[in-house]
Formats: sequence, structure tokens, C-alpha cells
Amino acid sequence: MLNRVTRLVPRARQLDPGRFLHGGPQGPQGLAVHLDDRVPDETPRAGSRPSEDDPAGAGEQREDRHYRIPLQDLPTVFAHGLPRRFGLQTGTAVLAGVSWSLGCTLDPVAQPRRRTGAGRAAAPSGRRVCSAPLAPARPASRVCQVKTFHEACLLVRRPALELLRHLDGTNFAHPAVRYVLYGEKGTGKTLSLCHVIHFCAKRDWLVVHVPDAHLWVKSCRGLLRSAYNRQRFDQPVEASSWLKSFKTANERFLSQIKIQETYMWNKRESTEKGRPLGEVVEQGLTRVKNATDAVGIVLKELKSQSCSGAFRLLVAVDGVNALWGKTTLKREDKSLMAPEELALVHSLRKMVRNDWHGGAVVLALSQTGSLFTPRMAYLPQELLGKEGFDALDPFVPVLVSNYSPEEFERCIQYYLENSWLQHEKAHTEEGKKELLFLSDANPGQLERLCAYL
Amino acid sequence: MNAVSHRFRTLRSLSAVSRHSLRLTQVRWSRYSPEYRDPQTDKEYYRKPLAELTEEEKCEQELRKTQLIKAAPAAKTSSVFEDPVISKFINMMMKGGNKVLARSLMTQTLEAVKRKQFEKYHAASAEEQATIERNPYTIFHQALKNCEPVIGLVPILRGGHFYQVPVPLPARRRRFLAMKWMLTECREKKHRRTLMPEKLSHELLEAFHNQGPVIKKKHDMHKMAEANRALAHYRWW
Repeated sequence: MLNRVTRLVPRARQLDPGRFLHGGPQGPQGLAVHLDDRVPDETPRAGSRPSEDDPAGAGEQREDRHYRIPLQDLPTVFAHGLPRRFGLQTGTAVLAGVSWSLGCTLDPVAQPRRRTGAGRAAAPSGRRVCSAPLAPARPASRVCQVKTFHEACLLVRRPALELLRHLDGTNFAHPAVRYVLYGEKGTGKTLSLCHVIHFCAKRDWLVVHVPDAHLWVKSCRGLLRSAYNRQRFDQPVEASSWLKSFKTANERFLSQIKIQETYMWNKRESTEKGRPLGEVVEQGLTRVKNATDAVGIVLKELKSQSCSGAFRLLVAVDGVNALWGKTTLKREDKSLMAPEELALVHSLRKMVRNDWHGGAVVLALSQTGSLFTPRMAYLPQELLGKEGFDALDPFVPVLVSNYSPEEFERCIQYYLENSWLQHEKAHTEEGKKELLFLSDANPGQLERLCAYL
Repeated sequence: MNAVSHRFRTLRSLSAVSRHSLRLTQVRWSRYSPEYRDPQTDKEYYRKPLAELTEEEKCEQELRKTQLIKAAPAAKTSSVFEDPVISKFINMMMKGGNKVLARSLMTQTLEAVKRKQFEKYHAASAEEQATIERNPYTIFHQALKNCEPVIGLVPILRGGHFYQVPVPLPARRRRFLAMKWMLTECREKKHRRTLMPEKLSHELLEAFHNQGPVIKKKHDMHKMAEANRALAHYRWW
């Protein structure tokens, strides 16, 4: 009881800086009050085995339990790839015979060599599924984990759980609510985002996932002047790889959604009104020069049609501070470009506005891949800058912090169960205390420590 | 007097003038005089309740209160995960004083060993799983132990020629040779674009199974010693 009361205070404080510092457009006034009133009933339990709850029942997901994502979901839901260290820990040897293009899934029970039957179906590691440029660049823990353990397990934590409950109760007639996950380095923002994406994918939402917006503003080769608008630049490589993963992830929607305008690609090629969205994606994939425009069209169509109620749209962007930061890309005269001169960034900025309804926008900030931001910066104010903050205001900030003592214990238990902690002293109380001290309960640091112990 | 001998190098080859004299030259100096004692970083030592201590230990603890103690080096910690063999290996891997890099390479190597063993474990059948060792520390220690030569060769000057004489090696020399061979093998004999953790993890796993170039080098040393056993009587210690 006391725990619940004390936690209300930080939640209220979270909303204040986000709302009143800048005189931006005020969102639904009732939103702040509404969220404060809803106290999620937490039942923290230290579970012994990773639970296999279906994400569709968010209420059944207990805090401090590991939630296992079925491996056959990984290639479709996380077509862009998982964070690097997370995906590396899922087995590749198992995946050797599986053909992705056929989209076949192995029956998990029919694998006699696996220790536990469920959730151990073969699936390629996150790194192989997506094409290289879009693999999230950060060396986070979890990609390695999926490859080594042959299972993708996420710890169910409070920020993700809160987000899921809010998403469950979204009112689709209201403008899209923007949730911004922020926190210090290594606390689990990207994985919370992955959790939310998996949840929404299971509920049949259409997920527009940008795994790392920082990759769009640095080290891009093959910049072209956009044909649509001479002031902007196209990025054919990034756009085409994004389209490929988008197609894998949302195959079933591409034939259902019909475009509402005719688009002329050039004198000979055009896509008429009423054709399925898949044709626009195909055009972007075959003609790489038109890929960026295809991305723009896809985003525009999804935004306008989500209001109709045919599908629910989730826009998930990681490293969203890249959209309002600086780039390291140069024009022909060697001067640095501003992000708004990139057509991809321009379309994505329009996507994360709250002038549409029928879905939600979940964003995660990241200092790790960002350019020209101080290392210790983690608050939305610092990372987004004035322009970005005004553009995103009003949003719901969700703080992702280090592990609580129960979560830490649970994480250590998970490693011990998987025999990941091999050092004999790591099993003792002394060892655990030392791990807590060395990692300061930071999930990223703990994972790196346990990797070599 | 081991504390003395490791700081002094004996000129064993100079036997012309007086065969049985050992001329000592100081190789490594220490700023500490002999009465300084080594620091005790083991937490368990200090946590023992007074009742459990033996007379000897009580006496030692009394002495520690008044005696001078050396400063503990930066790399020596009271961590439960500390391992002197690993620390020594890290020091040997270190170049230009870059301990941070050497240590990170070591941790990446241990992680790589662990992941490879986990891959093998998951690919193996139930009977084989019991035989697969997944602890990177046991693999490391066992690999180095397998690489240690039993007998070594020392050049001894007799009648104007240097002869390679087989000689029993002290324990520290054996450990040093094992680590040195391992590092040399990884640094020089591999393709220059492969990273150290990858090379080292591969070599450690091979040495653990008593295969690979480092084990071969040890066997070569043994064979040379066997070949030169006629010269064994040149040794006078």
C-alpha cells in the first residue's frame, strides 16, 4: 500500500516539466489528470520460470516476471532487427535450415534436443533478418542474448507495463497520444519499446517501426537531390532497406489498404488511385531512386487512413531526438545539412505529429547514437532541444530507470537458471552484492558484467 | 629464499672462472625495504571472528597493526571475482601501459569462449551436454595448464660453444612460458585482421582439448629436451 502511494509522487512530477516549460500547443487538458488517477494494480512477484503469457492479455503480465517472445514472431515483428546484444543471444545454429522467404515456422514441441519445449522454435537471429544498415547500431545487451539462449526473454517492467495498459485503454477517437520513453544510458528504453511493439503486433496493429533514427542522419552514402522537392535530399539505401523490413513486418496490411490518390513516379510509371499499398512499396523496392518518395507516400497514406478505423496504427521510433538534432551529412558544397533537408526525416516528423487519430505514437530517446549531444544528457529537454520539444509537446513522458531490488534479483535468477553466470562466486551472496555494486542496478552494465562471469 | 631469488638473476653460463660461484646482479629494484609486508586484500581474512583464530593468526594480526605494509597495486582488488592468473595474463597482454584495453580484450575473450561453448551445448545431444564445459575460467586455467612445459632448455656455455641443456623449470617459469606462447601464437601467427578476442578464444579452446599450435610447441620443447638428454650432466644445480 505504502509503495503505491509513494510512487504517485514521481509520476505527477514527470508530467510537469514536459507540459509547462514551453508554451506549445496544449493537448487534451484532461490527459494529465486522467493518467494520474489510474493507478495500475501491481503485484510484484519473483517468478521462478520465464512466464509464457500471451502478450494479448496485458493484465496477466506480472511485473518482475520474464516474458518470453516466441521465436517464430521475431522475424515478422522485429523485421528491422533487435538491439545488437539482445539478438546475439538467440540461437543461429538452430536456424540453419529455415528459409525465411517461405515464412515457415517450426513446431517448437518437435525439437527434442531443446531443454524446454515451448518457445524454442528456430528463427534467424535478429541480425540476419534485417539488412545491415537498419540493424540498431547500439551494442545493447539483448541481441547477443537471443542468439545464445535460443530464446528471447524480456523482463516485464513497470514502464512497459504502464504503457501497455495505457495503449489498451486508448480512445481511438482522440488524437494520437505520444509517449516518450526517456532515461539514462542502459536502462532499457529500446527493449521497452520492443515489448510495446510486440504487444501491438500481437493485437494486429499496423506497426511503423524505425529502429534507429540516428542512422538516417549520419554516414549515409548515395544522397540524391529529391525529384519531388529540389530543396530536399533522398536517401535511397536507407529508404529501400526500411521498405523491405516494413513489407516483411506488415505483409497482410499491404494488400488491404488502398491508396487514395494517383502517384506519378515519372513519365511512364504511375500508381493509380485504388491500388493496394503493396504496389507503392514494390515500386520503392524495385526503383531505388523512388524509395524515399515511396516511404513518404506510405506514411502519408497510413496517417490519413488510420482515422477510418480499418486498422490501428502504432508509430514506434527509437532515437527520435535525431529528427531534431544535427546531421553529419554534407551537401555538394561541403556544408552541413540540417535534418529538415532530408526527405525521410521530413516525412517522419509529419508522422509523429498528433494531428491524426486511430492509433498511438511511442518514441524512445537515445543519447548513444546521437550527434553533438553531451554524454550525460538524458532528459527530453536536453536531447530534443527547443525545436524538438515544441514539436512533440504535449507528450506523456515515461521514465525508464535502473532495476529495482526485486527486478535485479529476478534478472540474476534468470541468468542463474540459464547457467549464464558460470563463475562459482557469482552464485554466492557476496558475488551478488558485488554485481549490484559494480553495475549500480543498471540493466546494460549488469548484462555486460554477467557476460564474462 | 624465493623473495630474494626472483629479483636477482644468476649468471649461470659463466662457469669458466669458478664453476660453483653464482654471481648475483640486481634486475628489479623495489622502493620498499625488506621489513615491508605484502597487503592482505582478502575480505574473509578480516571477517573471521576472534574466537576462530589460531595462535599463529592472532600473532600475525597483532604484528600487522604495527608493521609497515606496502601499498596495494592498482590492479589488486578485494573483489570476489579476482583471479591472479587472469591478472598476470592481462599484464602480459598489455602494451604501452594500456591496461584498460588489455582488460577489455580479456573480458571479451572470456565472453567469446562462453558463447562458443553455449552454442556447442545447445547443438549437442543430452549425453554430450554433460561433458561440455561452459565456465570460461575453468577453460582458461585448464588450457594454460595444458600448455605448461614440464622440462625446458637453457643455453650453457662449455668450451666456447653454447649447448641447449634440458633443465627442470620452476613453476613460475612454466606458467610464464605457457602464457607467452599463447600470446605470441595469437599475435603473430594469425591473420592480421582478426580481432584478439576471437583469436585468443579459439586458441584457448584448442589448448583446452590438448590440440592446436601451442600444445604442439610444448611437445616440440619436450622432444628437443629428450633429444639433448646426453647434455644433462652440464647442469650443475
